[in-house]
Amino acid sequence: MAPIYLGEFEYAVLLSVLHLDEGAYAVPIREVIEQRTGRPVARGALYTGLDRLESKGCLKSRMGDPSDERGGKARRYYSVTAAGLKALRATHEAFSSLTKGLESILEQP
Amino acid sequence: MSPSSSTAGERILTLVVRDAELRESMLGDLREEGARLARRAGAGKVARWHLRQSLSIAVRYGVMRILRRKPPVRWITTADLEPQGPWWTGMLRDTRYAWRATLQRPMLSAAVVFTLALALAANSTTFSLMDALVLRPYRFPGVDRLIVATTIAPESTFVDRINVTAADFREWREQSKTVKGWAMYQWWDANLSGVDVPEQVPGFFVSPGYFALLSAPPVMGREFFESEGQRGQHHRVVIGQGLWTRRFASDPNIVGKSIRLDGEPYEVVGVAPPGFNTPDGAEVWAPIALTDEQWANRRAENYGVMGRLADGVSLEQARAELTAIVDTQRNDHADTNLKRYARVMSFTKGMADPGAGSFISVWQAAALLLLLIACANVANLLMARGAERASEYSIRLALGSSRARLFGQTLIEGLVLSMGAVLLSMPLIVAGLAVSKASIPASVLRFIPGWAFIRLDLELFAVTAALGTLAMIIFSVLPAIQATKAQVADTLRQSGRSLTPGRNRQWARSALATTQMALALALVFASALAITAAHETVNGRLGFDKNNVLVAQLNLPERNYSDADTRRRLITEVSDAMRVIPAVADVGVVSIIPAAFNNWTRRFFPEGQDIPELEARTAQFRMATPEYFAAMKIPLMRGRMFDDSDRPESTPVAILSTTLVHRYWGDEDPLGKRFRFALDGPWITVVGVSGDIVHNWFDRRGDMVYVPITQQAPYSVAFAVRTVGDPHALAGDLRRAVAAVDADQPIAALESLDKMVEERAAGFVFISRALGVVGLIALVLAVIGIYSLMAFLTTQRTQEIGVRMALGAGRWQVVRATTSRAIGITIVGTVVGSALAIGVGRAMESILYGMVTTSFVQLGALVAVLGSVALLAAYVPARRATQVDPMAALRES
Repeated sequence: MAPIYLGEFEYAVLLSVLHLDEGAYAVPIREVIEQRTGRPVARGALYTGLDRLESKGCLKSRMGDPSDERGGKARRYYSVTAAGLKALRATHEAFSSLTKGLESILEQP
Repeated sequence: MSPSSSTAGERILTLVVRDAELRESMLGDLREEGARLARRAGAGKVARWHLRQSLSIAVRYGVMRILRRKPPVRWITTADLEPQGPWWTGMLRDTRYAWRATLQRPMLSAAVVFTLALALAANSTTFSLMDALVLRPYRFPGVDRLIVATTIAPESTFVDRINVTAADFREWREQSKTVKGWAMYQWWDANLSGVDVPEQVPGFFVSPGYFALLSAPPVMGREFFESEGQRGQHHRVVIGQGLWTRRFASDPNIVGKSIRLDGEPYEVVGVAPPGFNTPDGAEVWAPIALTDEQWANRRAENYGVMGRLADGVSLEQARAELTAIVDTQRNDHADTNLKRYARVMSFTKGMADPGAGSFISVWQAAALLLLLIACANVANLLMARGAERASEYSIRLALGSSRARLFGQTLIEGLVLSMGAVLLSMPLIVAGLAVSKASIPASVLRFIPGWAFIRLDLELFAVTAALGTLAMIIFSVLPAIQATKAQVADTLRQSGRSLTPGRNRQWARSALATTQMALALALVFASALAITAAHETVNGRLGFDKNNVLVAQLNLPERNYSDADTRRRLITEVSDAMRVIPAVADVGVVSIIPAAFNNWTRRFFPEGQDIPELEARTAQFRMATPEYFAAMKIPLMRGRMFDDSDRPESTPVAILSTTLVHRYWGDEDPLGKRFRFALDGPWITVVGVSGDIVHNWFDRRGDMVYVPITQQAPYSVAFAVRTVGDPHALAGDLRRAVAAVDADQPIAALESLDKMVEERAAGFVFISRALGVVGLIALVLAVIGIYSLMAFLTTQRTQEIGVRMALGAGRWQVVRATTSRAIGITIVGTVVGSALAIGVGRAMESILYGMVTTSFVQLGALVAVLGSVALLAAYVPARRATQVDPMAALRES
């Protein structure tokens, strides 16, 4: 099966989930993307993105335990699936093959 | 984070996000971040932040859900395999399945329910008004046995119900056998005085037995004795509930007390039942007491007549008998009764305002058209759903379900939807009726019996429910037939591959969309016509300047003012008292002010033109002061104004309006010409020509005769006061000016002229606005109809489009291929619609007294707008079709 095509935002979300490892739920995921890319992310966009990635099979989720800090609500933790990893690699490869030879332009300060 | 600060946002999210786990995590995330924000920025900001974030998430998530919605998994009922019980178990089961089917496509069901509810609400609102104002404005017991009788001239088109003489009436009462009870009534503008502010009260003189005849006996006290119809004992009065509450603080001991009417003491003998104000908003009733001489009078056509049919007698029998009596009277008294022909009507018809019916029927017709459009929409949506469910039907047929069963179930599904629509329409109706009630000014209400009956009651609910159910049954038959026509083998073979639907089905849906388009065009055009006409009525050319004029209307009682000189003296003194008020620029006096509810016309015989009495046309007749023309800014085109040389004993003179002058003398010089109001009347010389004015909006003829008040003095007097600045500010000053001259004389009406013009047209303006709303809804429904059809067709053709694009078709070609049908619908729809619109325009021209003119410019503009909107509605789905990834389209199967 061909790898799943990822949009730019989906790419960023998946990478953030990888970064956060065990602690990946919506709040820190959004913070990581905002910090690293310097671009604001709407919460609604993140939730729909997560939902879409999950339905594509790139992410899977589990519910954590309810905590007082969250008014008795549980966290939903995400982790990247094998298919998600494959998609990430394919996208990364695609981008790096596209950028090959352009380093002198792209990496200018 | 306190849970209380977040409820609104969380409720919204709970509503939108159906996935329980996702919802819990979202709520938790927001609470967690909210708590952090509270520590940093203070708790005050958190609530709004939270609401904003919740809303934005809800919107995004909701949009995504809608866009990504896949056709839901179909359940196939196993009902057909279940054991058969009594018929009602099958019915129950079908209802349950129908309910499930409805919930399965919530958006589609909501669209159907909402569309139908809107149309139902428009219809029921109109119907309620029609019922209360026209069909059954009077609801006292036995009203269907009551009749109204009058006499009219054979050539007259207007039925004047107060047009009978006392002598004629007395003979009717003595001779008729088909009518067992009679009552006669006479208009009476009673001046109530002896209280802090004198007031003119609408009243009627009625013959004793009036209240018994109408089955409306007074709730307190009694009605008039037969003996109180004798002169000397007739100063008795029954007062209405409204007056009793308003002026006498609901005094429980009012009966037996004395009140002053027209300056004379009247003993209150009773209080009318609540809501009783027949005829014409009466608030006081006193016995008619005629002298023998008055009873013998065959000339004064002052009385209205009503009666109750004898048992077992039909209206036709009474009509025949009365016609015979009136015919005999005509032969016996040729000098007076020559032009009197009997007219006998049911009470409701006889007492109705001749105008209201035609207005409301225009509106009702519009509402019915709207219902048709809505039904076309609903049928279209249901057929779309039927197409979607073709495979379900086939499978059920294959499993042995009967076609009748499928047909029945589709119908029940329709009924479930219509029930929802009926329920949803109820609040809409309540709102519609409230708006209707609020838009008619109080001054007009007096003439609208049945006003109190405008409300949402059980009957109206039943009518609405019946209408909704009927419409739904009719329009779900089409999809139901389709459902049962499903060819098992064909559909199953095709199942999974949704190809372009069959020609037949497409044809039916296109026809529906075309009909919608045509009806909407006609409806929108009709409402545009009405709105233009209403605007013209209020703001168009009137021939006088309605701004900054305050009008005080007085009715001088005959008792004190029977002498013309006393009337003239009052007019002069009050005018002078008004002129000294600083903000008053001009004070003019006229017998009947434009936009008043009454009018006065007289026959017009020009000198030297041999016009037989029966063929003479009438002209509107006014008595006026010279200042009246200045105060109203009515221009004098030729000749002179009235002046001091016009005295009671000098040559009678008149100023005629331009239209009238042209009618009789063409381009000849009218000055010095003479005319008279009766064949044996004195000649009156024309001394001036004035500009035309519009007296009221439904009677736009410009003929008008003004005679000077110095030569003829009116009992009803309107002071037109031109002011500097806001006219209403002078109301108190005018009251004082009148009171200073005659403290017992009430001001019947005190209102600015622009307001009067507006109120006079209020009914028309209201109906035109209501039509506008109906037209707008129709337009929206038609556009939705075309859009949904196009969207559906395009979705059905996704694969085909994919193939075409894979084979190299350009975007433009795809757009053209998908919109060609819409273009056809638009063209046919607008052509048929234009023809329909012109027809509707012509019909309205005749119904609305020539107020409306069919405007082809307006029609052209409408066609352009509607056409573009329709094409746009078609373009959007077509455009989306071109963005389909060909691969995705092909893979989808």
